[in-house]
Amino acid sequence: MPFKFIEHTADIAVEIEEDSIEKLFITSANAWRTSVMEGSSIQIESSKKFIFTSNTLEGLLIEFLSELNFQLYTHKWVFVSVKEIKLQELTTGFQLEVEVLGQSFNNGLHFLKAEIKAVTYHQMMIEKKENIFSTRIVFDI
Amino acid sequence: MQILGINIEKITENLWEIPKHGGMLVPGRIYTSLNMLETTLQNDEAIKQVINVAYLPGIQKYSLAMPDIHWGYGFPIGGVAATDLNEGVISPGGVGYDINCGVRLARTSLEYDKVKNKIQKLVENLFKNIPTGVGASGAIKKLSPSEIKRILTKGSEWAVENGFGNLQDLELTEENGKIKDADADVVSSRAIERGMDQAGTLGSGNHFLEVDIVEEIYDDKVAEVFGLFKNQVVIQIHTGSRGLGYQICEDFLKVLVQAEKKYGFKLPDKQLACAPINSNEGQNYLGAMRGAANFAWNNRQIIMHLAKKSFLDTFSISESELGFNLIYDVCHNIAKIEEHLIDGEKKKVCVHRKGATRAFPANHKLIPIKYQSVGQPVLIPGDMSRYSFVLVGTEKAMNETFGSSCHGAGRVQSRHQALKEAKGRNLVDELTKSGIVIQAKGYKTIAEEMPHAYKDVSEVVDVMHYAGISNKVAKIRPVGVIKG
Repeated sequence: MPFKFIEHTADIAVEIEEDSIEKLFITSANAWRTSVMEGSSIQIESSKKFIFTSNTLEGLLIEFLSELNFQLYTHKWVFVSVKEIKLQELTTGFQLEVEVLGQSFNNGLHFLKAEIKAVTYHQMMIEKKENIFSTRIVFDI
Repeated sequence: MQILGINIEKITENLWEIPKHGGMLVPGRIYTSLNMLETTLQNDEAIKQVINVAYLPGIQKYSLAMPDIHWGYGFPIGGVAATDLNEGVISPGGVGYDINCGVRLARTSLEYDKVKNKIQKLVENLFKNIPTGVGASGAIKKLSPSEIKRILTKGSEWAVENGFGNLQDLELTEENGKIKDADADVVSSRAIERGMDQAGTLGSGNHFLEVDIVEEIYDDKVAEVFGLFKNQVVIQIHTGSRGLGYQICEDFLKVLVQAEKKYGFKLPDKQLACAPINSNEGQNYLGAMRGAANFAWNNRQIIMHLAKKSFLDTFSISESELGFNLIYDVCHNIAKIEEHLIDGEKKKVCVHRKGATRAFPANHKLIPIKYQSVGQPVLIPGDMSRYSFVLVGTEKAMNETFGSSCHGAGRVQSRHQALKEAKGRNLVDELTKSGIVIQAKGYKTIAEEMPHAYKDVSEVVDVMHYAGISNKVAKIRPVGVIKG
């Protein structure tokens, strides 16, 4: 598994390593889903497209994960996987275009194990060393 | 003494100072005991966060921390900082994601010995009537965006106007349940959408509703004014502004991270993102934060009304026999413009309380008439099997801590550690054997929130008591708990 949970007294912290920045974003989304829910019946019913921009890669990752969080708690829509992802550098920062697949939340099939209040900036720093991208993410619960 | 290489000097048994150094504009001061310094704070980044807060432009007197200090985002939990209104900043990290997370205590005339056989039924009714758990919704009908906007400006008044309480409840709520100058127009549509079905819901994590009994009275006179007596059944509600508040914090952190560059601040931590109080960014955050605070007061007001209904249904007695009345509602995550003595002169400052409770003394104009002779109730919840405390505000708190006290116990174990320790045990059975009825959405929540995952709150409260910041009035212990 390219992500691992690390001990955190009050919240959830996860460390992620991947060999491309796009994969780092996808794995971060998978780590987010593992943090918030359990459910054997994960099926694809629909897709959603989003475009995010930010001055920094960290800001962009927070935007992306915060959107998945919002979709779950407010639109009761569960992220399952990433269909397409395109990340590009702009003159003023970065842009992420992403199409995600998922399904409506179903109380009988899914169990929410935590409520993530927010994806925090704390200790988040996307680094590249020897072609490996890594970051830590702390979810406030 | 040194902790994590940081020099800490003893001022008194319960007060320790970090001398000003580096970019600190003021010294740091931590209310704690030697024992807590040597144990729980030994490996905690929180002390560093006290130092970081001291870098905030316009900070006054000290960067303060209460004895329940632990690691937070930007500010430590238990952090208090006052900033100058002209030169100073406002920081969402000094409030937290759960804006106006707080505690409400209500009394009844019931004596535990006479009703203990019905506590099981009462807890079942409370659990049925009050939505709990992750993404809980549907306590009342789903509200429209315009109705949510009305809550943002009216606070608890909205609940009372819609039949969830009475005017006396407003008098006994901090800010009367409606902080002025909330600005619904600067709250994002996302935040409003997150709040639409969450009014009157408890949520998850450490939020709870407890049926407690008064176990010990420390101050008869003050307890009488608060309406407390030994063996009495009371309830405690701990929750906040739910998804709406989290979204407002998230929205403004994004804006204020940019403001750091714009205003040329050099902050040691990104999560201390802030803006000048008198800037557009600062004023907009304050307006939105006040809206979330009002949403939270309204939330606790509705939950209390649903709880009262559950009591009436369970005991089949009249309202006058039940004697259900709010004692007080206090928030512990907020920033407020208040008047304090700075260098001998009265001055308006912006007091950030992040995991800290307002603790104003007798004769303060902002506390209810009912408590003018003694000071405001300060409500400090513990864990779900030991005890919580009711304290009273003091003049010393006004002089030393901008009228602030602690807010709770704070975790000492991660959820993972707690789950590991709970393995092979039947916690529900253990709680039942010690006289506590519990209902929760899942066993996992009970295991994660097991009592020993938390510090002993009595140690925290004793520091405040012996430091003279807020005095002990009563100890209450749980007999029924509902959790998410």
